[in-house]
Amino acid sequence: MNIIPWDLGAIPSRFFLFSEAAWYTVQITGLGVLLGLVIGLVVALGRLSSVKPVAAVSRAYIFLIRGTPLLVQLFIMYYGLTSIVTIAPIPSAVIALGVHNGAYIAEIFRGSIQSIHYGQMEAARSLGMPKGKAMRRIILPQAFKRAVPSLGNQLIIALKDSSLASTIAVPELMLRGRQMGSSTFMYMEMFIIVGIWYLLMTSVLSFVIHRIETRLKVSDRD
Amino acid sequence: MTDKEKQKKPEKKKKQSIDPNAPFLRIEKLNKYYGDLHVLKNISLSVKRGEVVVIIGASGSGKSTLLRCVNFLEKARDGKIYIEGKRIRNHENQLNKVRQELGMVFQHFNLFPHMTVIQNVMEGMVQVKGMAKDVARERALELLEQVGLSDKADVYPSMLSGGQKQRVAIARALAMDPKIMLFDEPTSALDPELVGEVLTVMTDLAKQGMTMLVVTHEMWFAKEVADRVVFMDEGIILEEASPEKMFSAPEHERTLEFLKQILPPQDDA
Repeated sequence: MNIIPWDLGAIPSRFFLFSEAAWYTVQITGLGVLLGLVIGLVVALGRLSSVKPVAAVSRAYIFLIRGTPLLVQLFIMYYGLTSIVTIAPIPSAVIALGVHNGAYIAEIFRGSIQSIHYGQMEAARSLGMPKGKAMRRIILPQAFKRAVPSLGNQLIIALKDSSLASTIAVPELMLRGRQMGSSTFMYMEMFIIVGIWYLLMTSVLSFVIHRIETRLKVSDRD
Repeated sequence: MTDKEKQKKPEKKKKQSIDPNAPFLRIEKLNKYYGDLHVLKNISLSVKRGEVVVIIGASGSGKSTLLRCVNFLEKARDGKIYIEGKRIRNHENQLNKVRQELGMVFQHFNLFPHMTVIQNVMEGMVQVKGMAKDVARERALELLEQVGLSDKADVYPSMLSGGQKQRVAIARALAMDPKIMLFDEPTSALDPELVGEVLTVMTDLAKQGMTMLVVTHEMWFAKEVADRVVFMDEGIILEEASPEKMFSAPEHERTLEFLKQILPPQDDA
């Protein structure tokens, strides 16, 4: 006789039926964040640009994307654009995640770039280094390092947010959980499995991020 | 910001007669404002080749701003700056070239913390001058030797004392083979016991004939090393004299007052 109404034994026995779905989650998150990093860097530099229209466009981007839900952005990408172009579920999810995270990552980069003391730029310029090169050689390496904790945080958020891709038919963890739940009627068990998978992945990420932070501390102390 | 000026006038073919006796650096009627605050008022100053000019004055008198205007880290509202008789304009390309000839040493060192000491010194040579890495490394080692830090080549700046950091910063500036060195209060951020090592390096440089423009509160350095001392007060150059005259018989009451405040009471000359 079970005291609790669920078949907890189903959790270990069905756990690995979710491996493929977990791999999809990893892929859309990884590619999405990679795209987000590129967009974030461009938009951050845009926001800091002395060319006014460039700064304005970058600000508008952050305003629009950060101010609307990821779910809306996913639906626009997958359903909304169909009248112009049809994008498959997985690319839609990757692009939406990239665009969405790009706005947040832009703000992370902007903050870390601005946190670098202006004396660094002055020292580089006083050697005769052009602005772009000074940014690349002197400011960005230091700014990236400072951005790592926040980027790690954003990566974990992105991983969990990727569950929204289940709504546009990406066969990732959350969708797999819903399908398994409705075919076995073991919703609790299946969503516990989904939860454990997310927890495993975020734990690995936290560990890796922590390792990177420690390694980057070598030259610091200044 | 530079593009507007670029279009103002089509470049005239200028005759470039370089008078050997002309000052190396000439500042002409420089005016600088921070908002409504007039921080540099019609400043003119010349530095001859091989000359060491020390600028003294109370904080807020504009001396650091003047130095920073010389290599355009601050943009003056109007006025002219000439180097070897050639007018320096606020054009990116020209500035990037000119700045290589103006070695700048900052109060807070501004070493690159993500690079080792030798990488700091090599950075300009490799990235700006385009020198080969092994050549730059050799030259960097020479310069570190010169400032007495060859044993620190491979450590990060965070492991150095303030005095050592400043000496690395001097080596980094010298690596560009500048024709003049600008020092912006190079010892003001140092613990008193570390000031000497930096001044020694600067004195050696002066002895080697380096042209130097130095903003400092170290009156010892002004007395012993300067060829000429400039006293700035509230955005103007109030007085300019040899160190002997400046420290024994300044012309202005303000100068005397300042020197009294800053110099320890003299027991003997």
